Amino acid sequence: MITFEGVTKRFGDGTVAVDNLNLQVPTGAVTVFVGPSGCGKTTSLRMINRMIDPTEGRILLDGEDIRKIDPPALRRGIGYVIQAAGLFPHRKIVDNVATVPYLLGWDKKKARARAMELMERVGLDTKLAERYPFQLSGGQQQRVGVARALAADPPVLLMDEPFSAVDPVVRTSLQDELLRLQAELQKTIVFVTHDIDEAIKLGDTVAVMRVGGRLAQIDDPPTLLAEPADDFVEGFLGKDRGIRRLSFVPAGGLAVRSEQGIPGWSVVLDDDRRPLGWRAEGGRPSEGNGYDSPAKEGDPLEGPVLNGTRPERPPAGEARTRAAAAGLQPFGTVDLNKDSLRAALDAALLAPSGCAIAVDGEGRFTGIVTREALDAALARATGPADG
Amino acid sequence: MNWLFDFFGDAANWSGSGGIPVRVLEHVEFSVIALLFAMLIAIPLGLLIGHTGRGAVVVVVAANAARALPTLGLVVLIVLLVGVGTTWPVLVPLVALAVPPILVNTYEGIRGVDDDLRDAAYGMGLRGRQVLLRVLVPVALPLILLGLRIAAIQVVATATVAAYVGLGGLGRFIIDGLATKDFPSTIGGAVLVAALALVVQLGFALLQRLVVSPGVSGRAQAR
Amino acid sequence: MGDAEPLVRWDWIGRNWPDIQGLLVDHVIMAILPVLLGLLVALPLGLASARWRVLYQPTVSLMNVVYSLPSLAVFIVLIPLTGLANRATVIIPLTFYSLAVLIPAVVDGLGSVPAHVSQSAVAMGFGPMRRLIQVDLPIAVPVVLAGLRVATVSSISLVSVGALIGRGGLGYLFIDGWQRQFSTPILVGIVLVVVLAVLADGLLVLAQRLLTPWARARRTA
Repeated sequence: MITFEGVTKRFGDGTVAVDNLNLQVPTGAVTVFVGPSGCGKTTSLRMINRMIDPTEGRILLDGEDIRKIDPPALRRGIGYVIQAAGLFPHRKIVDNVATVPYLLGWDKKKARARAMELMERVGLDTKLAERYPFQLSGGQQQRVGVARALAADPPVLLMDEPFSAVDPVVRTSLQDELLRLQAELQKTIVFVTHDIDEAIKLGDTVAVMRVGGRLAQIDDPPTLLAEPADDFVEGFLGKDRGIRRLSFVPAGGLAVRSEQGIPGWSVVLDDDRRPLGWRAEGGRPSEGNGYDSPAKEGDPLEGPVLNGTRPERPPAGEARTRAAAAGLQPFGTVDLNKDSLRAALDAALLAPSGCAIAVDGEGRFTGIVTREALDAALARATGPADG
Repeated sequence: MNWLFDFFGDAANWSGSGGIPVRVLEHVEFSVIALLFAMLIAIPLGLLIGHTGRGAVVVVVAANAARALPTLGLVVLIVLLVGVGTTWPVLVPLVALAVPPILVNTYEGIRGVDDDLRDAAYGMGLRGRQVLLRVLVPVALPLILLGLRIAAIQVVATATVAAYVGLGGLGRFIIDGLATKDFPSTIGGAVLVAALALVVQLGFALLQRLVVSPGVSGRAQAR
Repeated sequence: MGDAEPLVRWDWIGRNWPDIQGLLVDHVIMAILPVLLGLLVALPLGLASARWRVLYQPTVSLMNVVYSLPSLAVFIVLIPLTGLANRATVIIPLTFYSLAVLIPAVVDGLGSVPAHVSQSAVAMGFGPMRRLIQVDLPIAVPVVLAGLRVATVSSISLVSVGALIGRGGLGYLFIDGWQRQFSTPILVGIVLVVVLAVLADGLLVLAQRLLTPWARARRTA
């Protein structure tokens, strides 16, 4: 647990970077400081490892005032990841990762072994160990930065806009990687970002700060999206709050029809019972895999065939082509055990039939989620009982 | 060309206290001692002002002004005031010559290290001195070596003026030759000094390859 | 430095002031001309090396070799061509030293122009010449001027070595003082050389302020 007690930071030129900050960072969870530039989020983070000392107030780490701890000793127990990665250019990757273990006087062999283990853990090829930082891509460097911060197994991790300098695709994979790591390691993470979507995706708790270094609101993401404290927070959260909030409502409560179709539409499956598409027919469920039926001339195929939010089970390119040739319509799937109501809604919106196809963890057909079922779930989610 | 044959082909020039080997050694001795003293002054000072940022303006301005000191003037003045006999009258001007490039390059090298790198180093829990010695110096090393190389070459080239006040070194072939209108000796001496300077160049190129991390020089190439 | 002979005899300076003035003028000419000539040659050579990178390494290597030649040695090699005690004997080698400092400075200066700046200049329709004069060179000014400062100060200091071959401007005072075992001229020479260098350096700093009003002189070297 990290506790900010009335923390204020005034710089020499009179600017107030952080103004009377009171908050608690719970152990084993991700707390995100988010806000526009100049809101004091980075200053707040840097006060935790004493890169900056507060002007007033105090910060407690598990009940101990950090001002009583020698800064280098404090920092060796706190992982630190920054935007530019800040890798030491003159050292090989493995030695970069092992920096803190070396500082702590670990045996060189043990430190290197630990570094190799961590490289694997953050998804880096250990062949990169003997390279130098300049030989790595930005995304790889950032992974090395995370591995380096984790090297001495510190209970606390500070991350200062670690993913903001890489492209969106790499950023998404780094975020997913962090969530996966965190599920394993359960560190106390303080994460600074100016990207509210990143904050909502990664944070167990999100602290929204406003210019002048004041805390505007601190809550878990669903509450933040549902009940912004004021206009500033609402504006900062941006558009589509309602839709984004559905990401936090599990799809598990949806009613599923086990038939393989609805009036006017049927779901076509392959031999493995994986959905291939919707077919507009006389409401008759299709037999077999449906590939024997010839494509109707001029049969439209609107948009690409996607399967919503489950990238791990896309129809193979060949199957997709055959599905199109067979005159099948696009579809979306939802796994009720894992996905959110937002994913279910998205899956339904992708199909001209207006229904989402429910699948199991293997991507096999388990039923159909109809508009009515979605309506009922949305009504429950937005109802007054929620919160 | 004939002059060079006359000079290098004459066996008398290769032996005795005024022979080429002895003069080369004298020249190297002045140069090395001057360079060592200059390093002793300039490197710690450069590291200090580069690392702390304090006093940098004053020191750098003073160093640039020191570049203007005319070596010949200083040599004759010191010898005139204290007399010949030791080598240190020539050392003082040579040290004064060597300090500015070493000092300014060391300072700029340390100062120029990326702030993010400094931040990361402190954030990992390195102490001030560890940050300096384990991170800043290795990263600044190419610039520091460049300063040393420039200083070394200037010292080797300028140490010739020591001969004017009767001290040894390769300048003797040049100055004595000039006085006695012995052109082969003058040209030969000049060639020897130039050769020595080139050896220094090559030596530093080799040193650079040995001590600068490929991670640092590699980046320099990539830019 | 006994009591009998003072370090500086002020009356000597007064009596010889006209001569000292003459040496000063000679010194300034022999020091500044090589820097100006050097700049004149270094700009096109530097531009060429910046444009065709293959030229860069050979040029810099050659300049490194030039830089390692002792000035006295070069003066002497030139004597048969230009004659003893001739200004050209001093000016020619010093021009090469200036080149050795200025060519890398021009190349580095042009290298310091951010790619996005020169590309946006191209995108806005600047021709190559116009871009060079209006965009690239102004941005390169601080680095080129830093080189120019080093070249100028070194040149002012090095002219005095020319005294050994009979043409060294203020350096004559060192030879004169040494031959007469008399410290006043030597000190006057040293002080004037340093003052001259500091003055020239100050003028260049001022020029930099005027030429680059957008960049406050942040770096001191």
